[in-house]
Formats: sequence, C-alpha cells, structure tokens
Amino acid sequence: MTHPLESDLALYSTGDLPLWRRPLVRLHLSGCDGCRSWVADFDNDRESIRRLAAEMPVGVNWDRMAAEMSANVRLGLEAGECVASRVHKPTVATGWRVAAASAGVAILLVSAWWLNMPRADSVALVRAMHRIAQAGPWHAGGLALEDRGPTVEVSASGIQLQQNGGTLGMSQGQERPVNVTLSVQGSARARYIDADTGQVTITGVYAQ
Amino acid sequence: MRSRIFPLLLGASALAFGQFGPQSIAQQNLAQQNLAHKIDFPHDAPVTLAGDEWGGSAATVRGGAYAIDVRVALSLRNASERRIRGITLTVLAQEATAGGKGSISVPSLDVAPGETFSVRGDLHLLRPIAAGVSPMVEVSLDGVLFDDLSFYGPDKLQSRRTMMVWELEARRDRQFFKALLEQTGRDGLQKELLASLARDADRPQFGVQMVRGRATNTAGERDLKFAFLQFPNAPVEPTSGMARIVGNEARGPKLVVHNRSPRVIRYLEMGWIVRDSQGREFLAASLPSEVRLPPSSSSQLLQDASLRFDPRTSVESMTGFVSSVEFGDGSMWIPNRVQLDDPMLRRVVAPSPEEQRLVQIYRKHGVNAVIEELKKF
Repeated sequence: MTHPLESDLALYSTGDLPLWRRPLVRLHLSGCDGCRSWVADFDNDRESIRRLAAEMPVGVNWDRMAAEMSANVRLGLEAGECVASRVHKPTVATGWRVAAASAGVAILLVSAWWLNMPRADSVALVRAMHRIAQAGPWHAGGLALEDRGPTVEVSASGIQLQQNGGTLGMSQGQERPVNVTLSVQGSARARYIDADTGQVTITGVYAQ
Repeated sequence: MRSRIFPLLLGASALAFGQFGPQSIAQQNLAQQNLAHKIDFPHDAPVTLAGDEWGGSAATVRGGAYAIDVRVALSLRNASERRIRGITLTVLAQEATAGGKGSISVPSLDVAPGETFSVRGDLHLLRPIAAGVSPMVEVSLDGVLFDDLSFYGPDKLQSRRTMMVWELEARRDRQFFKALLEQTGRDGLQKELLASLARDADRPQFGVQMVRGRATNTAGERDLKFAFLQFPNAPVEPTSGMARIVGNEARGPKLVVHNRSPRVIRYLEMGWIVRDSQGREFLAASLPSEVRLPPSSSSQLLQDASLRFDPRTSVESMTGFVSSVEFGDGSMWIPNRVQLDDPMLRRVVAPSPEEQRLVQIYRKHGVNAVIEELKKF
C-alpha cells in the first residue's frame, strides 16, 4: 500500500492541497488509520501553536524591542560597508530631474512641430501671436482683414486665397501671370499666355 | 527616478513622432503617389476627352486638410457642329470649403468641329481629410461658348457671362486691328502692336487684399467720393458713389447707377481705379452687381467688401467706370476702343485676352503671323 507523503498530509490538514489531489488523499485516509493519525497530529499541533501565539508574553517592552531591531539593522549595514566599499554617485536634487524631464519633453514637442507642421500653419500661428503681443484686445483699432474670413489677394506674382495668414488656394503657375484681377464678390483670376502658341489660360480661385 | 523619466521620454517621443512623423510622412507619400481624380463631362457635352495628363499633381497632408497641387493638361475634342470660342472647367476639391474650388478658362479659341485642343491648368487647392481621397479632385465642364454666342453648360461659375465678355472683346479688338491694317497697312499694325507691348510693360500691378463681409466702423474713417469716367453711349451712367477709407483700407463701396437704355439690365460690372498720395494709379478691383434695373431707373449698389492696399498706399482718389452690362435678354454691352482710349484707362486697364494673344503671336512670330491670324476671322 502506498501512503501519501507527509508533506501532502500536512497540506491536506490545512486545506492547502491542490483540489485535484484531495479526493485521492481523502480516499486513502478513509482506509488507513496510520495516515489518519498523522493528519490528526498535524491538526493538534496547529491548534497548539495557534493557542500559544494568542497568549501575549508577560512584561514585553515593545519600545525597547523596536530600538534593538533598528540598531541591529544599522549594525548590519555598517558591517556590509566594511566588507565592500560602495561607490557614491553624485545625486541630483529631485527638482532638477523634473525640470530636465520637462525640458526634454518640450524639446521633443517643438522638434515634432518644427519637422511636421505645415509652414503656412506655423506662419499663421506666429502672426496670431504677434498680433496678440503687439495689439492686444485692449486696443480699439479696426479689425485686420484676416479676422473677417478668407482673404483674396492679387499681386504681380499671382493670386491666392488666404485665411489667418495661411494659404488656402491659389493659382501658382510656373510662369508669372500677364494680368491679375480681383472681384469684390470674392474671386480672383490670373491670366497666363503660352509663349509658343499665344493661347490664353485664365485660372480662378473663389473664397465662397 | 531616472528609471521612470526615460521610459516617459521614450513614450512621449514615440507618441509625438508616431503621430506627426513617420505615419504622416507615409500618409503624405501615399497621397502623392495616388492623386485620385475624376473627369466628369455630361454624355451630351459638346466636348469629349481625347487624353489627359496629370504629371506633377500631388496631394500633401497639411494639418487637417490635403493641399492639392493640380497640374493637368487635357486634350479635348470638339464633338459639336459649331466652332468653339471659349471653355471653362471647374476644378473641385471640395465644394463647401474655402480654397476647395478653382476654375480654368480658355478664351479666344477657334476650334472647328472634330478638332482637338488642349487645356492646361495649374492650381493649388485644399480638401479636408475627412472628405476622403476618392476622388481627390474632380474636373467638370462649367460651360462652352460657341461662335454664334450660344452656350452649353451648368454655368455654376457664371462663366457664360465672363466668356461672352471675352468673346465680345475679342471681336472688337480683331475688328480694330483689321481696320488698322486696312487704313495704315502693315507698318501701322506693327506700330500699334508695339505700343500695346509697351503699355503692358508699363502697367502697374500693386498688391491688393480683399475680404467679404461688413467691417465695423472705426475712429479715423473718412468718406471718399468716387469720380466717374462717363461713356456717352453706355447703357448705364454712374451718378454717385463713395467708400469709407481708413488707413490703407477702402471699405463698403456704395454706388448709384442710372439705366439710361430702353432695356432692362440684370447685371453690371464696374472697374474701381485707385490713386494714392504718391500719384500711383492702379485698377484695384472690379465691382460686379446682380441687379434688376428697369429702363430710366436708378439703383444703389452696395458691396460688403473691403480692400486693403500696400501699407505705403494712402488712398487719395477713386475713379469708377462701367466695364460691362448684361441686359434682360442675355445680350451684353462692353466699352468700345474709342472709350477705352482714355489716358487713365490705357495706363491701368489690361488689354483683352485676344489683344494679348495677338501681341504674343507678334512677339514670337512677327507681324505677318498676326495678319494671317486676323484673316482667319
């Protein structure tokens, strides 16, 4: 007859044996007095220990015990220092670390902006900041044209549609237009002439 | 502490460059490689597509929109029974967005039935990313003008009116050059073409910004009255007008016009010439107005628009002139060459597209080529 290990019996007595092994042990105990007595002894021992632990020692000075424990810890550390010398690295104050991390994140975001944001958007942002810095809402001057919607602009180099300083649409032929016209209904035209054939092409953009 | 900061930085780095960097670059490249386009002509259109070339067209992601460079060359065939004088195409990236719509027009054409001709365009448009990518750009027909001044097309861009003006100007100018050739011969024609070239080179073109919408009244504003160039036989007579001037801006032009013709007028366009304190004169803008003006009646034309000029420009005077009129039956009036011979207009108003075409032919091929060209009409 094969008996379970003592460790399994001990675990069985505390209910810590894995579920799938419990039925086998229980079956064995039902037919083995020796093992059943082992389990009963484990139960009795556990009960005795629990009872002893519940009784507080008389006259224990808890403060003194705590001081002794601290002293032992320090003693252990000093003994460790004697065995192997520790390298002390210069430490940076916590505040500096946070500042460095913040600066790193800021540099990261500015780099991402610089590398990826369209130039027109950056220009618009700079212009808006410049306007806020220069004029400010406390000035009672007239509104800039850009503040009132898309702006149609014509110049000798062509036509373009802008909003908040950013270009929305334009005629941008490689050659300069021979003429540009602006309509107050919100459109502009640029006239180009093919140098070889003389064919006239007129491109237009519309604000609305 | 360090073991907490570095993962944080690495995470932020991945987040930032993942959001803005490689992913968006990949998106840009994808868009550049696949500029989806559509050419949509009605089945009964008088032109058919013979070929198209989109080389150099590209779309680039910019913030929340695609910036689209449209470089298109279309080869079109006249599928009608009439000669084509002009065509306007709509180039649409997004209907409702400012900067989403453009147009390409070719005036002064003379395309016989069955012949092919080319239309080239170079535009920069915007399309919101949310609008998708298929198709990114749509080219459609807005209108075709024939030699009998009949028109085909949806005319959403009012291209019938515009092309009609160009065609009337072309006929007027060809007639002028033909008459000149008959009266003064080859040398007289050459002299006039050279004079046109010289005027073109001397014509000032100053930067002007325009925005629609009502501007608030501000301190320092002054009202400035328009002066008018009167054309004796024009159907419309401008009688008074003014605009508010503040700094280098001219706001809210108001004009009163009188219909002295026996016909109803439904549209008129006026030219707006500005002279600054330094004596510089230039054509600032055109003032188009949809009106219903019965015979012998007057009407006030208001424009909620502002013009801003170069910062050095201090507006000293303004001059208006009638540049085109459309009657109730769709026929149009434009100034004749005698009326345009006013010294101020000659200085600031550009010649017609047809005159510029003929001058370019002269520059490239000489006066004989111009004479041959005039004989075609």
